[in-house]
Amino acid sequence: MKTVCLVCQNVDCKNRGSEQLMAELQKRVQAKGLADVEVKPYMCFGACQEGPNIVLYPEKNWYASVKIEDLDEITDRLAGGPHVQRLDTIDSSLKELIYQLLDTGVF
Amino acid sequence: MEGILFPHGVVQGREGLTQYQARNGYRALVEAVKTTPGNVIEEVMKAGLRGRGGAGFPTGKKWSFTGECAEQPRYLVMNGGEDEPGSKKDRVLMENLPHLVIEGVILAAYAIGASKAYLYINANYAAATKSISDALAEAKEAGYWGESVLGSNFSLAIEITPAPHNYVAGEDTAALEVIEGKKPWPRQKPPFPVTVGLFGKPTAVNNVETLANVAPIILHGADWYRRFGTAESPGTMIFSLNDDVNRPGVYELHFGTPLRHLIEECGAGMTGGRRIKAIMPAAPSSSYLPPDKMDTPLDHNSMREAGSALGCGVVRLVPEGSCIVEEVLKISEFFTAESCGQCPACRMETNTLTSLLKKVQQGQGGKPILEQFGKILAFNKGKGFCNLISMPGPPIESALKLFPEDFEAHLNTGKCPAS
Repeated sequence: MKTVCLVCQNVDCKNRGSEQLMAELQKRVQAKGLADVEVKPYMCFGACQEGPNIVLYPEKNWYASVKIEDLDEITDRLAGGPHVQRLDTIDSSLKELIYQLLDTGVF
Repeated sequence: MEGILFPHGVVQGREGLTQYQARNGYRALVEAVKTTPGNVIEEVMKAGLRGRGGAGFPTGKKWSFTGECAEQPRYLVMNGGEDEPGSKKDRVLMENLPHLVIEGVILAAYAIGASKAYLYINANYAAATKSISDALAEAKEAGYWGESVLGSNFSLAIEITPAPHNYVAGEDTAALEVIEGKKPWPRQKPPFPVTVGLFGKPTAVNNVETLANVAPIILHGADWYRRFGTAESPGTMIFSLNDDVNRPGVYELHFGTPLRHLIEECGAGMTGGRRIKAIMPAAPSSSYLPPDKMDTPLDHNSMREAGSALGCGVVRLVPEGSCIVEEVLKISEFFTAESCGQCPACRMETNTLTSLLKKVQQGQGGKPILEQFGKILAFNKGKGFCNLISMPGPPIESALKLFPEDFEAHLNTGKCPAS
């Protein structure tokens, strides 16, 4: 199954540079030849104070407060590397809400 | 049925100053400036006038908050943005009864001690703007506003501000932003405009129809006014019917009149003799009611008890044979498009609800998708600056409750039950 890398593009995440993060991720995914990965915009995971937020699905990995310097590790994860534990800071009840939503195919 | 605003039924054709004066027009103002502003507020409070813009807040109470502020200057804003789809009442009032509206504006300004009133009028309403503008000139010439109104020590300046034609621009604080020369984005509340409003000063924002009720109340008294309507919703309200009925238009009805009267007598039923599947009494943001609620009285309490709301009186009907999923998707798309975008939660909620409904429409997501609506609404409850964030909930949740079979038909077959 294809991995979808969803990058929040709502107000707060955008103000913290999520457009640039998405463009960079797309470049890196392409450069690594990750054909089974799609980097896509997403309208908000509801964790605005902790943005920019990126969620990998179906892996259900949520990375918060992402910075440009974190992208190498996230790209490695997309290539099958280890989960970036230090960026996994979101409350589990919010994760559950969003993962259930993604399970219904809304992305 | 005797009306208050339109004593002989809704009339087309503009009422000029002489005609208005001939039916005691501006007499309320002549009497009011001889008494105190407090007397005007008290009479409006006793009459039980409630705002007609949608919230139904007691007008006298709103004015007392502003009137009690020590700060000067104070402002009055007439909200004629009228951006609810299908609402025509304020346009009809401004076009046909401009002096009734203006006398209400002047009385309200007097009551709260405002030195300036802004008339915020939908920029697409050319005829209404001209009607009001011409009436302002006539009223000023007659001494009803300007320096020393009717020889009193009350002076009032009035100015028209065009309202951008989009949904949130009709919100009270968005109107204040526009008048201040900014984009129509609602403000965070509190503080409320009654204490910190236009240019940071105490401001009463009142809907056109609300203000049109003021002169009759002051002229005839609160007891007379309370002869109409119900104890908790006195007076009349103007309802807008659209193309789903045989006689679309605006109808002034006493509060408490059964919904059936509006639909069957005023509107002459649904077009094409269709049967009603659902009624939305305050489109587009109220809960649907099933047809067996047709005898619900049109007043705030009765509508709330029936499970819906009165809003600003735009009544929409859904015919039998149509699909409620398609109906709520249109509503959800409307709110998604009209969200101004400044509050992240509102963008998240409106976009997610629309995405969910599109999935249902396409027959995707299975039964678990139906459980997501309530969760998304609960997660975002109360998070936006304005009320838009709470608007998609009632239509969607009532549709899920009343017509689960329409949602299931989409999910089970991938086809619309109406096709």
